[in-house]
Amino acid sequence: AFENRLAFRAQVRPLHGSGCGQQQEAVGMETRPETFSIFRTQENNPACQSEQHLGQYYTVPPSHFHTVFPHGLPPRYQQQVKTFNEGCVMVRQPALELISHLKRADYSKPTLRYLLYGVKGSGKTMSLCHAVHYFSKQGWLVLHIPDAHLWVKNCKELLPSSYHASRFDQPIQASNWLRNFRTTNEHFLSKIKLRQRYVWTKRESTEEGRPLGELVDMGVSHVKSSSDVVGAVLKELRLQAWGTEGGFRMAVAVGVNGLWGRTTLKKEEKSPVAPEELTLVHNLRKMINNDWCGGAVIATLSQTGSLYAPSSAYLPQELLGEEGFDSMDPFVPVPVSLYSEKEFESCYLYYLDRHWLQHPHSQTEEGKKELIFLSNRNPSVLERLCAFL
Amino acid sequence: MAASVTGLLKPWTPRVLLVRWSRYNPYYLEPEPRKEVYHIPETELTPEQKEERELKSVRPIKAATNSVTSSVFNDPVLSKFVNMMMKDGDKIIAKGIITQTLENMKRKQVEKYHKAPEVKKAEIECNPYVIFHQALENCKPVIGLASIQKGGKFYQVPIPLTDNRRRFLAMKWMITECRDNKHRRTLMYEKLSQELLAAFSKEGNVVKRKHELHKMAESNRAYAHYRWW
Repeated sequence: AFENRLAFRAQVRPLHGSGCGQQQEAVGMETRPETFSIFRTQENNPACQSEQHLGQYYTVPPSHFHTVFPHGLPPRYQQQVKTFNEGCVMVRQPALELISHLKRADYSKPTLRYLLYGVKGSGKTMSLCHAVHYFSKQGWLVLHIPDAHLWVKNCKELLPSSYHASRFDQPIQASNWLRNFRTTNEHFLSKIKLRQRYVWTKRESTEEGRPLGELVDMGVSHVKSSSDVVGAVLKELRLQAWGTEGGFRMAVAVGVNGLWGRTTLKKEEKSPVAPEELTLVHNLRKMINNDWCGGAVIATLSQTGSLYAPSSAYLPQELLGEEGFDSMDPFVPVPVSLYSEKEFESCYLYYLDRHWLQHPHSQTEEGKKELIFLSNRNPSVLERLCAFL
Repeated sequence: MAASVTGLLKPWTPRVLLVRWSRYNPYYLEPEPRKEVYHIPETELTPEQKEERELKSVRPIKAATNSVTSSVFNDPVLSKFVNMMMKDGDKIIAKGIITQTLENMKRKQVEKYHKAPEVKKAEIECNPYVIFHQALENCKPVIGLASIQKGGKFYQVPIPLTDNRRRFLAMKWMITECRDNKHRRTLMYEKLSQELLAAFSKEGNVVKRKHELHKMAESNRAYAHYRWW
């Protein structure tokens, strides 16, 4: 049965993209048998992937892996990457749709906002990471905030902000984020120059014209003012995104529904903190507003970390709330569905190839039917089932 | 012989009764959870099987327990281990620990497999079920000791053990070893996976305990004739 399926695989056709022509084999030549498989593709550049690659896994080269994704991958996926010794992402319909919109968008107009939504475990964060990989391949500046929920709950230290009296700072989260930002965007840090003078304390200030890298380093080393540094960084990037001298394009990728709603944090008088009173959240909301141009904002909703939301809620209206929906409106919704049959097949074959499905019965037809029944083709449930089988 | 208990229902009897652990009338037959039995077509049945089917159509059948499945992944030894690990009837937690253990073992082995050179790949066993069963086999004692009283004193006499007893002892030692003799802060699944992998390669404390039991039995060989069964 395997050999019959191999015969139906489509040839890789030349695409119209500029850099893509040289990367494929010549048309008419079959790929070598040892690298040939129905569920893998050799096309590792997200820009050159198209519908014929739907359902197939492409590998993120290990050298790029840690720079592109210092944070932001789902924890179980990170474990999987460590076990299999390679990082493979499946090409799926929502991610492809998103990338095609991004290719054709007009960047002189105000930013478009895309919202990935779907049932719990359907692959929203992975689609977001696929898009982030596309951005870093295209050379954009990537602002990847994996989960705004990390900022609105379980925070041990809340300092009152030095810049604005009624707001609160979160030094640890801000400095972690700045560190990861520095890893992802090394090459931009020296090119972007500040347009304004920032004064941190009586003795320290950053002058106009200094590179952004210095600001970020300062934020990482001086943990107390790191939240304000984050605010300054975001403001600078917003102003300069559509710059005239070889401006870069910026992509903001966020796990968004923690920015509105309630937090679990409390002030010293035990009264609850509203999200607006946190500096990080305040600055991020300004970012998501579409009053700047030269980039794109991609957001995901997630029920997993969200506070005070029922576990069956997955639609944007329910998870964002009134206020959130009004601020995100208008946006382009991108629904992320469960695996289709082809995608399920592909996932199953990938696990078999990586020696992950070890139980002898799981490799039979009966076992496969049982897996489909138990997981309902939900990607995360399938992953957890296959983990112990 | 009455198959229905509706006549005995009083207003104060709860509508839903726990039936399985009550004593069934011997008239009731055991349920058959395996799917293959029902897939045999009419023509291929032997006379005994035909008789059995006719009997099942007239007699009442007991309710199936919660641990019985028709799934292909059902493993009776593993279910027994889960039951032994269970505390206060909380099977969800026990089953969760076992699945995490299997996943952990598989992860360690698969990682080793992918990093190993081609030559060594065939020797690495990645199937957690095979590792579990083999480790349990390696922990089972062959001979046990019983305390027998003779002439006012108690002697430790070597005796043969039944299969069930051996399996029980292996599982019991494994669980107590992991609960007592490990670092306080490691989680149970981590401790279990380390111990099972060690037992698979015949190292580790449980296998040592089995060897000590064997040595005791060997040293008390002289009292073997005190056994009368």
